[in-house]
Amino acid sequence: MQQRWAAYGGRSLFVLLSAVPIVAGVSYALLYSLGLTGVLSEGFTLAHWQEVLGDAAFWRTLGFSLYVAAVSIGVALGLSLALVLRSPQAFTKGALSFFIYLPLSIPAIVMAFFIFQWLGKGGWLSRLSHQLGLIGALEQFPDWVNDNYGIGIIVAHVIMATPFFTIFFANLYQNERLGEYLHLAATLGAKRRQRIFRVAVPVLLRRGLATVFLYFMFVMGSYEIPLLVGSQSVQMVSIRTIQRLQRYNLGDIPEAYAISVAYTVMVVVLLVGLLWYNRKQMGRA
Amino acid sequence: MLTIKNINKQYKGEAVLQGLSFTLRAHEMLSILGRSGSGKTTLLKVLAGLETADSGQLLLDGQDLSPVPANQRGVVYLYQEALLFPHLNVFENIAFGLRLRRRPETEIKEKVNGLLQRLELPGQARKMPEQLSGGQRQRVAFGRALIIEPRVLLLDEPFGALDAETRRSMQQLLKRVAKDFGLTAIFVTHDLKEAMLMGDRLGMMQNGQLKIYGNRAEFIADESTGALDEARFWTDLQGLKLTK
Repeated sequence: MQQRWAAYGGRSLFVLLSAVPIVAGVSYALLYSLGLTGVLSEGFTLAHWQEVLGDAAFWRTLGFSLYVAAVSIGVALGLSLALVLRSPQAFTKGALSFFIYLPLSIPAIVMAFFIFQWLGKGGWLSRLSHQLGLIGALEQFPDWVNDNYGIGIIVAHVIMATPFFTIFFANLYQNERLGEYLHLAATLGAKRRQRIFRVAVPVLLRRGLATVFLYFMFVMGSYEIPLLVGSQSVQMVSIRTIQRLQRYNLGDIPEAYAISVAYTVMVVVLLVGLLWYNRKQMGRA
Repeated sequence: MLTIKNINKQYKGEAVLQGLSFTLRAHEMLSILGRSGSGKTTLLKVLAGLETADSGQLLLDGQDLSPVPANQRGVVYLYQEALLFPHLNVFENIAFGLRLRRRPETEIKEKVNGLLQRLELPGQARKMPEQLSGGQRQRVAFGRALIIEPRVLLLDEPFGALDAETRRSMQQLLKRVAKDFGLTAIFVTHDLKEAMLMGDRLGMMQNGQLKIYGNRAEFIADESTGALDEARFWTDLQGLKLTK
């Protein structure tokens, strides 16, 4: 009986701390975007939603966020899988297993500042290129920070995500007994390339799909890095939302809330899709 | 025919295989009985090309296997667990070896469906490994190995993780399949009865050394195999029952 009450208590605390604030926040944002609350509220209206959904800049923002997340995660996954499959033991034992944790302890804002110092026109790489005679003037250094392709944002996220996925996949490699799968595949006739692409990569990605997806969403919604090294003309969702919320024009606030609700709906739809896929894979669909 | 001549292997200065020599005839199943740590698994891994021997010679039908990598030996190693690829369904798990060899789709379908029937797995083709019982998984693992027609099949305690009843039915199935396919195989186990049931010939592995017996009577007569102890136990038990 006492155990049951303890379980109820634990669940209630979880709901109170995690679900309630999110549901309350999204509900408030939805009401605000529909004109049902807020300082300039004039009753129910779809005008703010029509404004947001009809604005090409919103879709560009969403597309840019997806692009940055896809490229960052894609590159980080490629690098981390290559590292783990090259030396599976290196990241679970020895000095490397300690040093790989260091980039994870750096806050995003510090990483963004580091990228700014490193890749900016007046940054270290630019100065080094100038000293080496590769460029005639610092201004000739390519736009890798605050650029329209999000190179600075992507590099920062790749540096942060690669150690995370490397540790994650190194542990999965051990837990999933991938070494034995690869041995078995070899005796069945698989060459090294076939073992990697037909066994190792699918097994690791399948087991790590949920984590990869969550990190993808984290990158899509990231704020500090695009704020410091992102472009002003092509923005990520979080930057555009916050800018609209903080403008002097109070009329922009409902649109900012509409953007955040639309983004939340998209994330939830993708999450449900992922859960459905996972359950189907597990044979419970 | 597989011929092993004077194989030695050490780990960190400790001898795991010591001067192993034996011959495995074509279409024969050799049962090797041995306790944990006796070197059974190392022997199989050396034969499969997953470990290298420090010295000695491995000949398969006259071909020296030592320089041949694992993926070109045609020697399939099966673990205690089925280790079905979790991202592939039953059909694709069995078809794995043929897909590697880029065989035509019609051949793959024909061979996989044939094996599904012979391994008593009808209607399971589209299931994922998580949806199968332990025995079914092991059948799929056999199918995945058999489809590439291995020159030698190495079975490392394949039924060790199964319950007693499933284990019995799997032993029967493997006996039948081995006969049908004319398998050349080494079956490693620590279970005395299983060793006697599965092997055409019997061997005993102790401290990295392997003794192959000329016939079943020799195996039973050797105290170290434990066969006599087992027989005495059942005789005594029978006597106890009768006197009661």
